[in-house]
Amino acid sequence: MAETDTARSPREHTGAGRRRSPTTVLTAGGLLFVFATALIGPWVAPHAPTEQVGMPFEAPDGTHLLGTDVLGRDVLSRVLHGGRVIVVSSVCATIATSLIGIVVGLWAGLGDGRFREAVVRAVDVLAAVPALLLMLVLAAGYPASDTAVVAAVALTTLPFSVRVVRAAARRLAGRGYIEAALARGDGTLHLLRYDVLPNLAGPLAADAGIRLVAGVHLTATAGFLGLGRGAPEANWGRMVQENLPGAKLTTAPFLAPTVLLVVFAVSAGVLADRLAESWGSDA
Amino acid sequence: MTMLRYVIRRLVLAAVVLVLLSVAVFAATEVLPGDAGDVVAGVDASPEERARVRAELGLDRPAVMRYLDWASGAVRGDLGTGFVGRRAVADVVADRLPNSLLLAALALVVAVPIAVALGLAAGMRAGRPLDRWISGVTQAMVGIPEFVTAGLLLAVFAVWWPVLPQVSLVPLGASPLHAPEILVLPVLTLSVVGLAAATRLIRASAADISATPYVESARLNGVYGLRLAVRHVLPGAWGPAVQALALTTAGLVGGTVVVENVFGYPGIGRELQLAVAGRDIPMVQGIALSLCAVTLVTLLIGDVIARLIDPRGAA
Repeated sequence: MAETDTARSPREHTGAGRRRSPTTVLTAGGLLFVFATALIGPWVAPHAPTEQVGMPFEAPDGTHLLGTDVLGRDVLSRVLHGGRVIVVSSVCATIATSLIGIVVGLWAGLGDGRFREAVVRAVDVLAAVPALLLMLVLAAGYPASDTAVVAAVALTTLPFSVRVVRAAARRLAGRGYIEAALARGDGTLHLLRYDVLPNLAGPLAADAGIRLVAGVHLTATAGFLGLGRGAPEANWGRMVQENLPGAKLTTAPFLAPTVLLVVFAVSAGVLADRLAESWGSDA
Repeated sequence: MTMLRYVIRRLVLAAVVLVLLSVAVFAATEVLPGDAGDVVAGVDASPEERARVRAELGLDRPAVMRYLDWASGAVRGDLGTGFVGRRAVADVVADRLPNSLLLAALALVVAVPIAVALGLAAGMRAGRPLDRWISGVTQAMVGIPEFVTAGLLLAVFAVWWPVLPQVSLVPLGASPLHAPEILVLPVLTLSVVGLAAATRLIRASAADISATPYVESARLNGVYGLRLAVRHVLPGAWGPAVQALALTTAGLVGGTVVVENVFGYPGIGRELQLAVAGRDIPMVQGIALSLCAVTLVTLLIGDVIARLIDPRGAA
């Protein structure tokens, strides 16, 4: 190894000196707004999501700020209730795939062998399966199950986190400070804690952001297609599906969840892109 | 390795993967074998009635035997009979798949030229403002669900400015091409989705090629712009780009399911969603297996073309 100063593990990408551009502030604000709506919404909603408060497709007015939906339910209340399942499902899937990705990726990246090779190949095959197809098949086997939706999201995004961690681990394995730590007699856990994970944090965070976007994309689509826990639960995806036919009467009922999903996708996407840029993408 | 051997090797590999996927599809949908019988027999059927229906459908036999029956049938082109309406699954696939392929093909025709242009423009100037814009916008677009894009397009072109039909219904037995206007919004939605994904992949490959010494030296020799793109970057970027496009095409499988449901378009994705909603297990299995096969064939074609363009690629 050419490197001689290997006693301490340098952080490969510090990300220091990042300026907080207006775009970053704006997108972070957008992300926060969508998350707050989804998580705090159910407590501040004026009506229950299933309560009928008027005629179908009433235009927005003083009492119902976003009008009423296809069954005469308050759209604002349903918007405030309908994000939680999407955000919670996709955050769960993202955490699960990050943890499994770290374990499998490190294991596959920091060693060789036929079995490890086979596991990497299996992960590659999984990546070739269209996400929505897997979700629909699982939904057919386990109808009306939110767990099946989370499992489908996790399975289809797992290949990416395994690949990112594995690529980062392989890169790290060639670095002198890992060898130095091994020569010093550091234990495996110590090595992971102080030499491997700190250097993995950046690429993994950027990748987790992209997986979170994919997760929201998929869980919202599941709601739209009527997978997972079904009607009458509020769900942004299902709200679009329910209220699209009434778009000629009033657009607010389908536009409100649509706008929230667009704000989320754009904010999270741009932020993840920034993150990947400043940490150096391995994907 | 000669081209023929490469193709044969890849075909065998794809067949192995398809067998694995068929096991996965079967296992995921048949783990609760009671349900299928219940669907056919009805909710308030007596236990004897249920047992009779289960025996009739062969659901009382071991799962391995049922899988082997199903898989051997699939090899002969017989995917069984759906529970709902007793339609032959293979007929439904043969009837609806072409409609979906038409959507996907039209979307590619629209999206690919734009994606190549944008991907090259961004990748050849990686890190510059134009690249950051294109990367940022496409990254944001990738995250927008297909049904959201479809809903917005529908609101604009069918509700606020009603120039296009809100639904894309096709009369029984007719081709969607008889009324081309119904194809516009579905194709536009799919194009937007495919465009973002394809642009990102082509950008990555163009950026790699642009950083190579031969492109650098061409630049130093005063070659730039379109000439640099066509003569120096594209020849190297084509191979990975074709593979990227195959990946995008495979990704359109999910897109078509959603788009067909938004517009009521009679494609294979709409049938799949209806089958899932109606718990029509043989239909779900047959359609899922067909779509897996379509995906694998698409990826295979992409790899073969990439290898024809650039035989050095080891992939």
